[in-house]
Amino acid sequence: MQFPWTKTDRPRPSGVDDGDAIVVSGLRKTFGDFVAVDSVDFRVKRGEIFGFLGPNGSGKTTTIRMLCGVIAPTSGGGTVMGYDVVDEPERVRENIGYMSQKFSLFQDLTVDENLRFYSGIYGLTPEKYAERRAYILRMADLEGRENELTGNLSVGWKQRLALGCATIHEPKLIFLDEPTSGVDPTARRQFWELLNDLANEGVTLFVTTHYMDEATHCNRLAFIYRGNIIAEGTPQEVKADLTADTILQIAVDRGEEALAALEGLESVDEGYMQGSLVHVNLGRRTAEDAGLREFLVDHGFEVGAIDRVEPTLEDAFVHLVTQQGGRA
Amino acid sequence: MRRILAIARKEFLHIIRDKRLLGVILVMPLIQLFLYAYALSFDVKQLPTATLDLDRTTASRQYVDALQQSNYFLVDGVLTSYAQVDNRFESGADKVVVVVGAGFGDDIAAGRAGNVQILVDGSDANAAQLGSSYAGALSRVFGAKVVISQIEQKGLNVSGAGGLTSSIRTWYNPEGISAAYFVPGLIVVLVTMITVLQTANTLVKEKEQGTYEQLIVSPISRIELMVGKIAPWALIGALDIIIIAVVGILAFGIPFRGSVGLFALSSLLYVICTLGLGLIVSARATSVDSANQLGSLIAFLPTFMLSGFVFPISSMPPVLQWLSYLFPARYFMVICRTVFLKGGSPAVLFPQIAALVVFAVVIVVLAASLYRERA
Repeated sequence: MQFPWTKTDRPRPSGVDDGDAIVVSGLRKTFGDFVAVDSVDFRVKRGEIFGFLGPNGSGKTTTIRMLCGVIAPTSGGGTVMGYDVVDEPERVRENIGYMSQKFSLFQDLTVDENLRFYSGIYGLTPEKYAERRAYILRMADLEGRENELTGNLSVGWKQRLALGCATIHEPKLIFLDEPTSGVDPTARRQFWELLNDLANEGVTLFVTTHYMDEATHCNRLAFIYRGNIIAEGTPQEVKADLTADTILQIAVDRGEEALAALEGLESVDEGYMQGSLVHVNLGRRTAEDAGLREFLVDHGFEVGAIDRVEPTLEDAFVHLVTQQGGRA
Repeated sequence: MRRILAIARKEFLHIIRDKRLLGVILVMPLIQLFLYAYALSFDVKQLPTATLDLDRTTASRQYVDALQQSNYFLVDGVLTSYAQVDNRFESGADKVVVVVGAGFGDDIAAGRAGNVQILVDGSDANAAQLGSSYAGALSRVFGAKVVISQIEQKGLNVSGAGGLTSSIRTWYNPEGISAAYFVPGLIVVLVTMITVLQTANTLVKEKEQGTYEQLIVSPISRIELMVGKIAPWALIGALDIIIIAVVGILAFGIPFRGSVGLFALSSLLYVICTLGLGLIVSARATSVDSANQLGSLIAFLPTFMLSGFVFPISSMPPVLQWLSYLFPARYFMVICRTVFLKGGSPAVLFPQIAALVVFAVVIVVLAASLYRERA
């Protein structure tokens, strides 16, 4: 079989600014006997927000590292902004931005010094740096705080500054690896507004997150689980599988215990905690058939409201993982 | 080049912001310099000494007087019996006890050898060794005087007689100042500690705080990163060398007889070696703690123990002597002592400089290849 990314049969000249932002075929990475990423294929279109979801250890970060040209795939490959990740990792790195949950700022340097450092790393001209600096300070709401030590900023500002540093060279594709983990909801919302602005300017965003509410911001999603992509599509398409199912949201005391009891029932396909509420998927059964309220009351739980809810992405995710024979 | 400068500038900012680190770099060398120069003094003068004169004759008193007048012994105790010796040593009051045996005066008067016993406290090896050799020498001189006076009493003129005079002169360090011996060595030890430990830390620290991740997805190459990171430490290493050298010369009167250029060149070679070693540690270590431990193992032990800094290499067991060839410190130690105390031409120091060149090349190649392969 002839792979499209092999040198003899490249689909288009390298570096040409058209086509998909990311094309991945048969990308695989093993560490000894452990298969971190198992021959995945996907495409990311230019200008879209692509959500890459999956539990910890499912292969998200390994995939990103291969796409950034930091580690070489065991087999397979792909192109990022038209550059081959195996043959041209340097070109790939010049054309992407990267931001991780660690924010990658030097805490003992000031805001300005951090910006200046990354400007030097990406080789910005003094004029370009002045322009980008002004833009980032405005974007991150840090005007007038240029000389503050980064370590003294609160987390929302750090996060926006990190985004600014990661995009100082105006990349057309940005990888964001759990950029909002550990950030409060307000800052998360503000951050997503910034990401939306970038997307509106035509920047492609490749985002991993484990916050399912954030996944709804994405144009398209891929679920990766144990190194395999188990679902791909728009949020609506990913949930489509579940729209015929009955999903109940149960308010009950001692939620964890109630969940354990419910999971033993034959009528319950899947169950998990959504905050303090228990979600159960009854498949094609109706709520009345299952008799969950009676069951819970008989077992000494105090049951509040039981509502049928529209499937969320989290429901879809649990469903997909359960089908794979695992637990989310 | 611009990227290297960006990294180097950032590293400088880290150093300037870190007050404790600044102290380690600039103040610690001076503290250590004074500490070592005074505490590691091997000059033994005014050795606390007690005498036990069992003879009590004019001759024995003359001998004890000779002891007292020499600058090497401070006679601070006169004992009356052997039983007291143990007490003097145990309490640490004296390091040497000189016992003049009964019959000393009679023996000398009769033309026989007088009997003197020198007891030293072996728990202080240095003092003991020097004490016994000084006292031994003193006794020989005293003995010779006795012989001469006896001969003269017999009416012979000894000035016409042959004989053997040995005059000992210490070259390069005529007054036998320990500082002259230690300060050049201290340069080696301090520069090694600072450069190896700090570069060992630098990369691991970035890995722990997550910034390394960001750097490797940037266009910067590993080599640029490596050069940018060690450049500030090369300068600081040079600065430390200059500080110690200048303070050593001004405060301790250490001579500098060699060529500054030669010293600068070999310092540069040596600092390249130590920075490279630090980078190798940094590439291999998994945490700041392990980097520190590994770094001090590599930096401290060979430099302190196997370089000839304190213990002369020639008196080590053969295995350790061979081992000492494997660390660049021993070569730089010879160079330092030579350029400070003796002068030393390039031709004389060629083997040491050549060894440093080989070490520098091997270490840099090794570090660079480690950086390349480490993702």
